[in-house]
Amino acid sequence: MSFTLAGVGLTHANGFTALADVSLAAQRGERIAVIGPSGAGKTTLLRLLGAALRPTAGNISLLAADPWALSASGLRRLRSHIGVVHQAPPLPPRQRVVTAVLAGRLGEWPLWKSIASLIYPADIAGAREALARLDLGERLFDRCDRISGGQLQRVGIARVLYQRPDLILADEPVSALDPALARQAVNVLLRDAEARGATLVASLHAVDLALAGFPRIVGVRDGRIVFDRAAAEVSETMLHELYAAEGSELPTLAREPRQAVAPVDGGAVLTGARCR
Amino acid sequence: MNHTLRRLALKGALLFALAPALAGNLSAQENTLRVSAIPDEAPTELQRKFAPLGKYLEKETGMKVVFTPVSDYAAVVESLATKKLDLAWLGGFTYVQAKIRTQGTTAGTAIPIVQREEDAKFTSKFITADPTIKSFADLKGRSFAFGSPSSTSGHLMPRYFLQQANLSPDRDFRNVAFSGAHDATVAFVAAGKADAGVLNASVWDKLVETKKVDTDKVRVFATTPPYFDYNWTVRGDLDPVIVKKLTDAFLKLDPKNPEHAEIMALQRASKFIPSKKENYDGIEQAAKAAGLLK
Amino acid sequence: MNAGLPLRDPAARGRATALIVALVVLWPLLVVAEFKPAALFDAQNLRVTGNFLAAFLPPEAGREFLGFLARATLETLAIATAGITLALLLAVPLALLTTRVLAVAEIGPGPGQGRAAILHHGLRVLLTVLRGIPELVWALLFVRVFGLGPAAGVLALGLTYGGMLAKVYAEILESGDTKPARAILEAGGGRLQAFLYGLLPGNAQELTSYTVYRWECAVRASVVMGFVGAGGLGQLMDQAMKMLNGGEASTILLAFLALVLAADAFSGLLRRQLAAAGLRHRHAGVGPAGGGVIAALAAVVLASFLFLDLGFAALLTRESAQLIGEFLGAFLTPDLTPVWLGKVAYGMLETLAISAIGTLLAVAAGFACALPASGRLGRYAGQSSRFVLNALRSVPELVWATLTALSVGLGPFAGVLALALHTTGVLGRLFAETLENAPPAPHDALRDAGARPLAVFLYGTLPEIAPQCAAYALYRWEMSIRMAAILGFVGAGGLGQLLYFELSLFHHAQAGTVIAAMLLLSLLADAASARLRRGMAAG
Repeated sequence: MSFTLAGVGLTHANGFTALADVSLAAQRGERIAVIGPSGAGKTTLLRLLGAALRPTAGNISLLAADPWALSASGLRRLRSHIGVVHQAPPLPPRQRVVTAVLAGRLGEWPLWKSIASLIYPADIAGAREALARLDLGERLFDRCDRISGGQLQRVGIARVLYQRPDLILADEPVSALDPALARQAVNVLLRDAEARGATLVASLHAVDLALAGFPRIVGVRDGRIVFDRAAAEVSETMLHELYAAEGSELPTLAREPRQAVAPVDGGAVLTGARCR
Repeated sequence: MNHTLRRLALKGALLFALAPALAGNLSAQENTLRVSAIPDEAPTELQRKFAPLGKYLEKETGMKVVFTPVSDYAAVVESLATKKLDLAWLGGFTYVQAKIRTQGTTAGTAIPIVQREEDAKFTSKFITADPTIKSFADLKGRSFAFGSPSSTSGHLMPRYFLQQANLSPDRDFRNVAFSGAHDATVAFVAAGKADAGVLNASVWDKLVETKKVDTDKVRVFATTPPYFDYNWTVRGDLDPVIVKKLTDAFLKLDPKNPEHAEIMALQRASKFIPSKKENYDGIEQAAKAAGLLK
Repeated sequence: MNAGLPLRDPAARGRATALIVALVVLWPLLVVAEFKPAALFDAQNLRVTGNFLAAFLPPEAGREFLGFLARATLETLAIATAGITLALLLAVPLALLTTRVLAVAEIGPGPGQGRAAILHHGLRVLLTVLRGIPELVWALLFVRVFGLGPAAGVLALGLTYGGMLAKVYAEILESGDTKPARAILEAGGGRLQAFLYGLLPGNAQELTSYTVYRWECAVRASVVMGFVGAGGLGQLMDQAMKMLNGGEASTILLAFLALVLAADAFSGLLRRQLAAAGLRHRHAGVGPAGGGVIAALAAVVLASFLFLDLGFAALLTRESAQLIGEFLGAFLTPDLTPVWLGKVAYGMLETLAISAIGTLLAVAAGFACALPASGRLGRYAGQSSRFVLNALRSVPELVWATLTALSVGLGPFAGVLALALHTTGVLGRLFAETLENAPPAPHDALRDAGARPLAVFLYGTLPEIAPQCAAYALYRWEMSIRMAAILGFVGAGGLGQLLYFELSLFHHAQAGTVIAAMLLLSLLADAASARLRRGMAAG
């Protein structure tokens, strides 16, 4: 098992319940898309899986360990095996791209290497390779505030590629990208997970993107899991029900009818017509 | 522009109007003798030492005597020049500075009136707490504490005699400190803040007598040849009648009179003798030789 | 892998050069500042300091001494209050005459423009000189003019702070809405009318707030000036420190800390009240409560002057004016012989070295204290490190220097440590504030990716706060240069030691050169830090 959530809930100190009674488990190497309307609890779910939030109810097991029973250093080691792609890339504006990418392996590197790398980048080739997979190889030595928002988001993805985690958590990883780049970036993540046998959980706003690439879809609304199906089993009715609060249109990469997205490993084929 | 000027003028006028009030009892100054002393010891100590002498002078001159302690040698000199003091206890070097400073001013050249018998053959003591220091030669490369830069017995004369012995403090000592006062020099040396130091013999004797210094630890390793030091100086344009009264009062002090004995003990004087400017020509020359007087 | 793209860091060469240059510059500075940390652990020095600190307990609580202390504390407060009043009287006309907003000439050509320009320029130079010479040096000079008592401190504060207030007043007036004043001037109104009707209403609160803040600084400054004999707590402290009387020193330090913290709190309260009042009623007028406050202030000021019994009247006689003129005139013919200039130049270098090394140490220590102080390492660590920072900050450099001179012996290294200690307090607090305001996302993301705390800080937080912290460090360095110039008064090296020695011996020409050097350093620091700040804002 890559992770197991059993009856997990999270109620904030102010009484707001972000997640309630969530049970979810994934085998090693599974690729799961989490979809649902804004405020459904997708981000909270991912933060629980990243051991960034402690649940207020239920049990959680990540990579065969209970993160909240671990010592501080144990928790740190566990976290170094989990990589998170953030919606807003958490990169200091004055940091150089190469440093931002290399920071992915800080959990693995000894402290001296972390410090030395600030003076001279420890693994330029590695950082370049990760960036090249997202067509950003030439941006290696630029400062983060000198590149566009879309490029910055891909730098965030490159950091996680460089980290090589066993569990990849991607929270709206392509929100700042145009449709073509978004598809490419998601495919890079899917391929990386597949190649290394890592587990990938991505929350996506664009339903078509989720259905096109991910074998397993988890629908979340109001802090609960509404459905958890193979992509092929997800019906349009289920989707409309999920997004009922957001009107009659389903969120997709682009509003206009579009061609099918090439499936990565035999997932459902989503047509533009179906999305209408 | 006009408005601003007027406003400025208004403020000026306000200051003028307030000034007399701020200055305090200006009219009372006629009958007040203002006294101070160079701060070669802690100001509180100076005040304590002066109290009975002040009462005595009040009685002898019929004037109100006010003692103001200061923490700066130069302040005493400037105060004589700007007529803020009538009588001051000065060191030999300070007197030379005061003489030069007041020459040709409206305040008149400062006049030394009396000094202690001891001041005619004054010495300074070189002290250390370090067993390896036995002579001037051992001072090379060590840290050394003078008193105030302006002090005769705590800086000028010792520097002069060191130079006579071919030792230049600026060149040969690792570090030169100015403790500011004789008793502070002893504290510096006793605490090890300086390897050696120098102070006036009179203060050293007093500290030894009153057991304020541990003589097992701090010892004298050299003494300077004698020179003229301290005196009581009056402002050059002070009323000669008052000058006469003051001089007589000091000269009249007699250790056999128990009342006088207390005053003299505090002043560490066996007897007061008349003083004169020429007594300090030697110090002036020494100061020039040591480069302290330009 | 794309061929042709560099696999070497293109910035490496620049970084290496910068590093080498930094080392090449730093090394002589370390030598000049006699940087020898081993002196801190020298057995003898440890014993001296230990004995002195051991004597801190119990603090002296004798009745007579407490009487002295109470009087000195009152005197310090009175000096600060009287000094700031004098500064105000000086600053208001100077600000009105120098601010561009009220310059009729700015409207367009007219008669007398050339003369006005000269006056304007001359006054700005005067302001620079007033500000550029540290108040301690003014005090040292005035102690000689006035001889006895706190008058020297009051005048010194009045002049330095007068220059500072005038500059800041002018800047405040220029930064606000200038249209109303301009309109009055264009309609033929005078400077004063334009100020009272066009500028004062909009800026009164900020002007008052800054003045109150300066009063708080003046309390600290008046303590320091006591070290050169200008009365108050400093004079008492100087004596206790010189005599190594630990019991007295600790009592005075406690009184001093209490005074500074109280002044801090009082000024903070006053300024918050001002801000609140400014929001409450925007319409003009002071109201009955404001009238009461003004009356109370006037009473306090009057009481301060009366308490100090200043002999300013003596200044107003022609004779003493002439004497003072002569005295100050002696400084205007500085000694410019090569030997002396060489000595002064070395003094400047030593001053620069002390300030630079002291500030660098403070930056490092400031970061070390700021991390816990910002609350990142738990509440207990946060509170205790904030307390340490406050204590470090409350004790002025000059007082620290008397202590560090014990720990490492007299000389520039004592000055370095003294500056470092005080500046750590200031920078630590500013750094902690910057840390608290830094975006948490990069930090949290790295923590959640399993990075070690130090690595998290270096990669996630440091790049966010570095520019702000560097700006603070530069600003403090500028202050430190001024301060390093006077630390020598207590034997901690630099220009101050030269000045103290020469002034003690009435070598006015030599002292004049040293004062000119201090002014030069202060101007250089001003210009350099302004340039660096501009550079950083652009980069």
